[in-house]
Amino acid sequence: MSVISEMFHNLLSKPVTLLYPIEKVPVPGAFRGRITIDDDKCIGCSKCSLICPAHVITMVENEREVEFKDKKLKRKKKPRVKLFKCIRCGLCERHCPTTPAAIYLKSELSDSGTDPEAVVT
Amino acid sequence: MPEVIVPIGPHHPALKEPVNFKVIADGEKIIRLDLDLSYNHRGIEKAAEQRDFIRVLPLIERVCGICSHSHTTVFAKGIEELMQLEIPLRAQYIRTIIAELERIHSHLLWLGVAAHEIGFNTLFMWTWSDREAVQDTLEEMSGNRVHYGMNEVGGVRRDLTPEQVNAALVRLPVLEERVKKYVDMVNNQKTLLVRFKGIGKLSKEEALKYGAVGPTARASGVDYDVRRDDPYLVYADVPWNVVTDTNGDVYGRTRVRIGELMESIGIVRYCLENLPEGPIRVNAPKTAPKGEILSRYEAPRGELVHFIRTNGTDKVERVDIRTPTLANWTSVAMCLVNQNLADIPVIVAAIDPCLSCTSRITVINSDNKKEGLINFDVLRKRFRTRYQSPERP
Amino acid sequence: MIDSLLILVYIFLFPGFLFLITYALILEFLDRRIAARMQHRVGPPFYQPLADFVKMLGKEVIDPDGVDLPVFDAAPLIALAAVMTAYLYIPIFGSSPLAFQGDLVLVLYLFTLPTLALFLLGWLSRNIFSALGGIRAVTQMFIYEVPFFLALLAPALMAGTWSISEIMVWQQKNMWFVFLQPIGFVIALIGLQAKLERTPFDIPEAETEIVAGPWTELTGRRLAVMHLTSDVLLVAGSALIAAIFLGGPTISVPVTPIWLSWFVGFFLFLAKTLFVVLILSSIKVATGRIRIDQLNTIGWKYIATASLLQVAMVIVINYLWVSS
Repeated sequence: MSVISEMFHNLLSKPVTLLYPIEKVPVPGAFRGRITIDDDKCIGCSKCSLICPAHVITMVENEREVEFKDKKLKRKKKPRVKLFKCIRCGLCERHCPTTPAAIYLKSELSDSGTDPEAVVT
Repeated sequence: MPEVIVPIGPHHPALKEPVNFKVIADGEKIIRLDLDLSYNHRGIEKAAEQRDFIRVLPLIERVCGICSHSHTTVFAKGIEELMQLEIPLRAQYIRTIIAELERIHSHLLWLGVAAHEIGFNTLFMWTWSDREAVQDTLEEMSGNRVHYGMNEVGGVRRDLTPEQVNAALVRLPVLEERVKKYVDMVNNQKTLLVRFKGIGKLSKEEALKYGAVGPTARASGVDYDVRRDDPYLVYADVPWNVVTDTNGDVYGRTRVRIGELMESIGIVRYCLENLPEGPIRVNAPKTAPKGEILSRYEAPRGELVHFIRTNGTDKVERVDIRTPTLANWTSVAMCLVNQNLADIPVIVAAIDPCLSCTSRITVINSDNKKEGLINFDVLRKRFRTRYQSPERP
Repeated sequence: MIDSLLILVYIFLFPGFLFLITYALILEFLDRRIAARMQHRVGPPFYQPLADFVKMLGKEVIDPDGVDLPVFDAAPLIALAAVMTAYLYIPIFGSSPLAFQGDLVLVLYLFTLPTLALFLLGWLSRNIFSALGGIRAVTQMFIYEVPFFLALLAPALMAGTWSISEIMVWQQKNMWFVFLQPIGFVIALIGLQAKLERTPFDIPEAETEIVAGPWTELTGRRLAVMHLTSDVLLVAGSALIAAIFLGGPTISVPVTPIWLSWFVGFFLFLAKTLFVVLILSSIKVATGRIRIDQLNTIGWKYIATASLLQVAMVIVINYLWVSS
């Protein structure tokens, strides 16, 4: 009996589906989205590359002056991430020594893809 | 009709993951069946031997999508016990909250899938729409709908803010009302009763003899739950009950799972309201002392066991995962005999199979087309001669 | 001359085959939309069944190894031809111009041909799933055919005629059969749901058990034709039930200018068939599939006895009426 009453109640109310491209999906602040590197903050310590479980971060040559803990220093390398192979576990963000982390997962909804060569630097 | 072999799997609409049942049927009655489980083997146990304790946890998490938190918790718990590390109370509460939320979403998923197997797609749509509330809560707390990544050796990685706690507490009463409606539906809906009652009956002695675990065994009256009999995390402090049933058939298992749903909602509410203050992690040492440990956990499907052996380095020497689905397959094979062909999906779905957890290797000899098991030493010798011989370039 | 031209327009354009196929696609859309809304989903847009039909016509036709191809091609077409022909004898906006004494029997016979075509397809595809599905389809037909025929025999007995159009006219003068024979109405609906192979009777096509039963090896245009047969059977079946139990395209008040009565009759036809489809959709959403041996028990124990009871009641009432 409860099935039938629920059926007719549903018939007269709005469906529960979110019509995705037209309506926006609410994304919480802690969502682990696309990997992003903040160029101003990275000091090139390579901790992210060592800790990554999927081995998708490589360090490439890149020189720049950055400020870290009120000291100016010159970094030699910065990370390059294979975008679509990242498993978004967040270990790199957890172990990055800068505050806020120079490598982090953006909390916007992002696409997926399969290009193995796509990188984020 | 003479005996025919009906191939259920590896590709079949009734199965969500590949498994091969070769059912030998006479008309609509099943005579016997052969089982082949090895289609989802990925070599995770071997890969885990090459990663240190921080990097092995995302790998262990990906053994299964639905019970991902179970695998990381039991592994982290085992390593922490080997290192003799005591994690803070707040971390234990957070681990329990995520574990019980995972149990809720797994049981709601199961209810939908069981309804779909008997063609009752309406209940499938409704339960999965309610599951979205739980998934939204998990996404707010951990950042992802599956593979939460909450655990690390020494505590949890993320804290729960008061807004997240309040948002979760607001969703719980709504979920409880819906689950009560499902209890009513399962007890009164005619087609559900007609398809679930008396199917796949397993008596208490048979359940104990074939090693059934989890809701499958509890539905036959076996009163065993790892959370009560070998307590871990905070289950000894939270008031909750073990749900058993005496029916022993698919209907009994449905009732056990819905009962566990109500209990889990109660546990989550208690933990959210009584969350203690404090740190969420301690600093863990890099290496673990030499030792062996058997770490147990009550996953949504039953008793999950990790056997871990360490040797003083920062990696494990051996991890052996015994999942609950592996323990339940024998009972399926036994209680399928003399049932109807139309009941195969129902009985298989009633143990809540998760083949990603289960797969073990099967060896097929391509010369004489025979299958069999092979000894580890023989396998190792063949591996050495094949891949390490001097002629190979 | 004009007469044969009008007959051709009736058969091929309106309310014949062109209208029939359009209405079949519209009714499939309404059925899926209502079922989806009841399940709290959105459902497909209005052009979905037409898009499915056109797409399936264009897909590759895969011939399984060693099957009898002429029969494989002909069986769906025979099924479609049978239901389209049966539809012509059912009153749409007034009495059917092709009506004759005994067309009820002809329509019921033609309705059984799609199931036999499915059985033939299942048996011929050299596939264990299709064979099992075909056997289940024929077993199901044996179980529901007897009550279905008896439930449709009872109104014919009470109206004293074997023609659907005359049964409809009888109802216009007296009362609709849904009030006089409610048991028969319920059994006819159950029989129609079983004939259309929808839940709870979609045993031959059980997706989770035997892949797709006899539909497994159908691809491309064969599948398109067979799917269209299902839709046309939905229209023709609900039109038959509307004509026999709900008074068809007439109401108790006779409408005088003949063109106005056709106009009103057409809208009544649409409303009544929609009502029947609404009931069938609700049954489809509210239940799960039952097993073939459970259908056997329920069918012979309850449904067949209920229909026999209904026919017995009609015979008694007729006798009392005649003797008064």
